[in-house]
Amino acid sequence: MLESPEDKEAGVVSADEPEADVEDTDEEAEEEEPVEQAAPQPPPPIEKVLAPQRVRKLDIVSRRNWFFLLSLLIIIPGIISMSTRHFLLGIDFAGGTEFTVTFTNNPSVAQVEDGVAAENIDGTVISTGGGGYLIRTPPLQPAQQTTVLNDLSERVGPIDRTKLSILEVGGTIAGETITRALLAVVAAALAILFLLAIRFRNVPGGWRAGFQFGGSALAALLHDVFLLTGLFSIMGAVLGLRIGEIDSLFVTAVLTVVGFSVHDTIVVFDRIRENLRVSQRLSFEQVVNLSIMQTAARSIITSFTVVLVLVAILVAGGATLKGFALALLIGIVSGTYSSIFNAAPLLVVWRRLQPVR
Amino acid sequence: MQLILSWPVRLLIVAILLFSVAVDGAGYIYRAVNHYPPAGNVPGLPPNYFGWQLYIHKGLDLAGGTHIDYELTNFPSGQSRADVQQRTIDVINKRVNALGVSEPQIRGAGNNNDRITVDLAGVTADQAQKVIGRVTKLVYTKWVKDSNPANTSGLHPGYKPQLVGLTGDDISSASASIDQNGVAWVVNITFNSGGAQTFDTLTRNNVAACPGDPGTNPNAGCPERFLTIWLDLTQEDINNWDSPGVQAQLLQRYDSGGKLLVDAITDTEISGGQAQISGGAAGFTQTAANDLATGINSGSLPVDLKVLDVTQVGSTLGAESVKLSLAAGVLGLTIVVIFMMVYYRLPGLLASLALVFYAGAVFAVFKALPVTLTLAGITGFILSVGMAVDANVLIFERFKEEVRAGRTIPAAVDAAVRRAWPAIRDSNSSTLITCVILGFIGPPQVLGFAVVLGIGVVASLFSSIFVTHNLLAIVLSSASMRRTALLGADRARIT
Repeated sequence: MLESPEDKEAGVVSADEPEADVEDTDEEAEEEEPVEQAAPQPPPPIEKVLAPQRVRKLDIVSRRNWFFLLSLLIIIPGIISMSTRHFLLGIDFAGGTEFTVTFTNNPSVAQVEDGVAAENIDGTVISTGGGGYLIRTPPLQPAQQTTVLNDLSERVGPIDRTKLSILEVGGTIAGETITRALLAVVAAALAILFLLAIRFRNVPGGWRAGFQFGGSALAALLHDVFLLTGLFSIMGAVLGLRIGEIDSLFVTAVLTVVGFSVHDTIVVFDRIRENLRVSQRLSFEQVVNLSIMQTAARSIITSFTVVLVLVAILVAGGATLKGFALALLIGIVSGTYSSIFNAAPLLVVWRRLQPVR
Repeated sequence: MQLILSWPVRLLIVAILLFSVAVDGAGYIYRAVNHYPPAGNVPGLPPNYFGWQLYIHKGLDLAGGTHIDYELTNFPSGQSRADVQQRTIDVINKRVNALGVSEPQIRGAGNNNDRITVDLAGVTADQAQKVIGRVTKLVYTKWVKDSNPANTSGLHPGYKPQLVGLTGDDISSASASIDQNGVAWVVNITFNSGGAQTFDTLTRNNVAACPGDPGTNPNAGCPERFLTIWLDLTQEDINNWDSPGVQAQLLQRYDSGGKLLVDAITDTEISGGQAQISGGAAGFTQTAANDLATGINSGSLPVDLKVLDVTQVGSTLGAESVKLSLAAGVLGLTIVVIFMMVYYRLPGLLASLALVFYAGAVFAVFKALPVTLTLAGITGFILSVGMAVDANVLIFERFKEEVRAGRTIPAAVDAAVRRAWPAIRDSNSSTLITCVILGFIGPPQVLGFAVVLGIGVVASLFSSIFVTHNLLAIVLSSASMRRTALLGADRARIT
């Protein structure tokens, strides 16, 4: 029990201190965070000298327009790309037949392309490395598929049948997948709007305030969805990178990001709700800024752990999962950014336009 | 927070722990009990515990195999679509059984009962489609005079087939065997009582069709005496009989893309409902006879099947994906555990223990339900590990704040859990709602992901709130553990 007195003298806390604590996290690159923690602490006087300057830099709410601008700078090119160049569609959406073949003799792309061209099936060839190729054609009958494979193994080289995969998607299914994916995004967004409105209707302002919270979270969510789909449109349709291809896994990624983005936003909003109750002498702006500061460490740490896992998948995971992992990575970084720099400041703007009292 | 630390909750945690160990280790328990070595192939795996087979069910993208979506068309009028769909599923099931696939999955789908999806492990798309789609309806016809003068060639010039209302549905069983001369393969069929009667009448009429000697020149002389067996011949085919090219196409043998099976002259009346289908001049191969018998036995499909999409995955392709994804998962988990321990010290260690508990429990649930794991499902699981950490991070960050605000350590833990709870509840319920929407509204490909992530979210909530908090309470009951340095709260005091 010798330690107990020490516990109790846990320190008189001034109002600025939580911010000073969090602000480290905010300024340093995410990777440095754990190292910083393990390292010996700098002597307190230095912290104190630096503190006032840094605290001012952290007024996120009053700098909100810069953050909105930054988001728009990324999103607008994405939207332009989506509306003019659309997407690079994967087989799920484009329809057709896709062979994933592995030639044991490791032929060159040109050799495989020649072999496919000789089939007269209007096929395209994509190398996946290690003798592996993706061959895409318009829809083929099973008998035709067998013929193509037999011919290819004759012309190009032996095919490892245990690694063979054939995907055939008709137009009906492709159209349905797109419809259901869009429907799911809209349904999820609406459900989240109402969930938040219900959860936050007990802050001062009632339902109107509840919908302000819900609406701001929805805006942050749409930010993430547009940023992610826009970047993929740029990568796939403008730059022609295969990782920017849109398939049903990408839809999964978008929907996961929807969940995650709201996850982060709710943590900030929940803190705002709590602080509105506790510190009534602060202005709404101050409460929001304080809440952002208090939750920033958690938001960044959580996203950081998920980012670690995703980077692991991106580096070590199977080729089929790389695009998926990249989509999640972009979405989760964007989700954390939008919950800190967009959702809460937007709430402030909204409150100004439509005051609740 | 009394509830969380109460004995019933702790008993529940222990019960889940025991359940997880038993389910996850089911294979090893079986090996130990039967004195088998702990690794390598042993008979009887996966073990069957009172009808429960506990193992990870792999989706087709992991195990290799074929997935086909069919659309059902030409529904017979006047019957419930759901019934027709179910009958079709039954027929496909019977046909697929002939392939010897383990756990074939044939499910109805579609808003209008107009879809069937088929998942077959370890079968190529070609094999699967042959068995499911090719051998369909056995149809008998007789021949009648054709009024169209264009009909001058083919099997019986001047004649065209006429359906006699006898089909494969009237056959009660079929089997392949060598004929009585011991040279060719034939298919023996037994009609049901209605079929036997129709067949009897038919053969009697045929024999009586051309009085005189049919033996001299049967082909030219009397097409009315022929009884012909087709596969899948429809009234539409007969209506188009005289269009150019149709006959030639239809008259090819069924195994070369046509529909003709046997065209045989009727020598005698056949009563008693037993008949034999020979392969004609070319004869049947053993495989062809067997396929045909299987096809007849499984009955005919009440509808037409149209293939919408097919996915075929090679057997080792899936295994490689599993290996890579598991490696990524283990790597990710390790990084998270190291990070948590460095950043949060003792609580981080306890949270990591809770994380292991979580992973074990989730896998046990996957095995017990069972949940079929797909590649996207594994990713969902890995992702839920990240989310499992989140609740702990929320609590621990709050804990630091509470210590800073001057609470004693046990009080700070309590307050941290209590105050972090609304955020944890709301954020996880939003993720859960997304999962439910994904599962019900989203495209079918993401169902596996949604289920795994949903289970993961629920389990992670339990492990991060109940397990971590209990572990913390137990550890903190020892005074030597209540040190700020161990709890990662020291930094808060200095600033």
